[in-house]
Amino acid sequence: MRRPDLAAVFRAAAVTGVVHAVDLDTGAEVGVGSDEPVVLSSVFKLPLLVEFYRQAEAGLLDPAERCEVAAEGRTEGPTGLAAMRDAASLSLRDLAFLMITVSDNAAADVLAARVGLDAVNGMLAAFGLTRTWVEHDCRGLLAALAADLGDAAAPLDPRTLGRLRVLDPARTNRSTPREMTRLLGMVWRDEAAGPESCAAIRRLLGLQVWPHRLASGFPYDDVVVSGKTGSLPTIRNEVGVVEYPDGGRYAVAVFTRSIGTAQHQPRADASIGTVARAAVDHLRAS
Amino acid sequence: MDLIRHLRLFVVVAEELHFGNAAARLGMAQPPLSQRVKRLEEELGVRLFDRSSRQVRLTEAGRLLLTEARDLVARADRVRELMARAGGDGAAGLRIGVPPDLGGTAVAALLAALREADPPLRPALTEMCTADQVRALADGELDGGVIRHPAGAAGLTYGPMLVQHPGVLLPADDPLAEFSSVHLADLATRPLVLLPRESEPGLHEETLTDCRRHGYVPGEVHPAAHPQFTLGLVMSGTAVAFGPRAEQPGVVWRPLLGDPLAWRVSAAWRRPGPAVEEFGAVAVRVLRENAGMIDDGAARARRIAHRPASGLLA
Repeated sequence: MRRPDLAAVFRAAAVTGVVHAVDLDTGAEVGVGSDEPVVLSSVFKLPLLVEFYRQAEAGLLDPAERCEVAAEGRTEGPTGLAAMRDAASLSLRDLAFLMITVSDNAAADVLAARVGLDAVNGMLAAFGLTRTWVEHDCRGLLAALAADLGDAAAPLDPRTLGRLRVLDPARTNRSTPREMTRLLGMVWRDEAAGPESCAAIRRLLGLQVWPHRLASGFPYDDVVVSGKTGSLPTIRNEVGVVEYPDGGRYAVAVFTRSIGTAQHQPRADASIGTVARAAVDHLRAS
Repeated sequence: MDLIRHLRLFVVVAEELHFGNAAARLGMAQPPLSQRVKRLEEELGVRLFDRSSRQVRLTEAGRLLLTEARDLVARADRVRELMARAGGDGAAGLRIGVPPDLGGTAVAALLAALREADPPLRPALTEMCTADQVRALADGELDGGVIRHPAGAAGLTYGPMLVQHPGVLLPADDPLAEFSSVHLADLATRPLVLLPRESEPGLHEETLTDCRRHGYVPGEVHPAAHPQFTLGLVMSGTAVAFGPRAEQPGVVWRPLLGDPLAWRVSAAWRRPGPAVEEFGAVAVRVLRENAGMIDDGAARARRIAHRPASGLLA
């Protein structure tokens, strides 16, 4: 099979994008801009989750420990505890569940405070993921966005995009497509932590609720899609693993930027699934 | 006494319920016929006919015997027929049915292998769909066959089950041809060409059920028995089809993701015997080597991956 035109998929959806896909068992890979620096946005919650389970294994924290989340002062967001109004009491691992499955910013920041971003960056360095860096938690990210935007409620002006720090990989949570597929490969091969922890991480990624990005490329009952999304103005990302009924396993990382600033762009979301399907199909054919 | 010969006479009398008419039908005089029926009654120790009234009637024992006698007589005829067809070398001819789409290579290999068997068999192959083969086997018009499952036929003996995982034949300009493999669900509502329900009832039903289970609901189902007709419909963009790999301009073949379809085939026969069992062994070998079929292990259990977005009560 000839190499698929992955860039054409992005063009057709009016986005620019980079992608890396790798067969977790053979190492066969395909990509476009696999080593380009990218903005992670909420994808940073994946390395945070891995370090959370590593610390649990090391006895530094108890995943079942109950945690009080007060009504006041939690990080804002459209889902989970970030959108709820009252005080709640959850275990740390259930906060992790909310952080991954609905990208709950409040739950993520409780865990980030508990685990420590330095520890997450230390783990990434130890894994050799030298181009992946967590600059700030959700609160820090939203604060930088608000400071650069001024009036956050106003419609986004395409001319202001250039001055948003959270859209610049040099000044926010960052990685490359290849480093994200490497991290996912370590989770799927039980190398990022012990087998039980890696299984817990895989379970949470498999319970992510969003059907419109990576999963949209694989609308099959017998294919498992696990992943973590990331979104910011013009940014639509997802990294994940696709598992086929014949046992084939593929890590895919897709990072896109839309040319338009409209929030709702289903074709841009779907291009993530389309490009992933084309990349995985190519890996299976070669 | 010659039991079969006596039973043959008994059957005719039982059918006529009149010794005179039966004797006429048998081309013999009535007294020897009556004597032979008496001999049979003595031999079996029962009365077969009630001759007290003016009309001859079957007794209960006679009614029981009639069914068995017909069967025995038919089988005896069959033995004679077989032996009559046996050549000077003593090998019987073997009447075999094969599906019309078996493929030239497999047909040739089957014939060659049967001729090379020890002792050599003299095969006569007929192309015949499963439904017709099942009928012909039951009626004794075929000695053996290669049939598709589920066959839903009672009283047949099957050889080892072989399986073929068909791929999909797409028109060359179908967007799915871009991919190296296709999932059944990708076929969406494309029309499908499939072997007819009348000729392959089991395969037809099972295939459509599997398609729906995997998310493919054909907008139309065109029956087609002949591979060339099937290819024509695909080439023209009228429909897609399932089948083994085919090289044909205007058509692309792609494997189906996860081998969702399993077309099962086996040799089948009704009356066991060395010749037909030899055929069974040969057929398995030939189908494996020349028709791309593999041993049917335990069917792979299909794992459904539930996703929150489309889960229960989502």
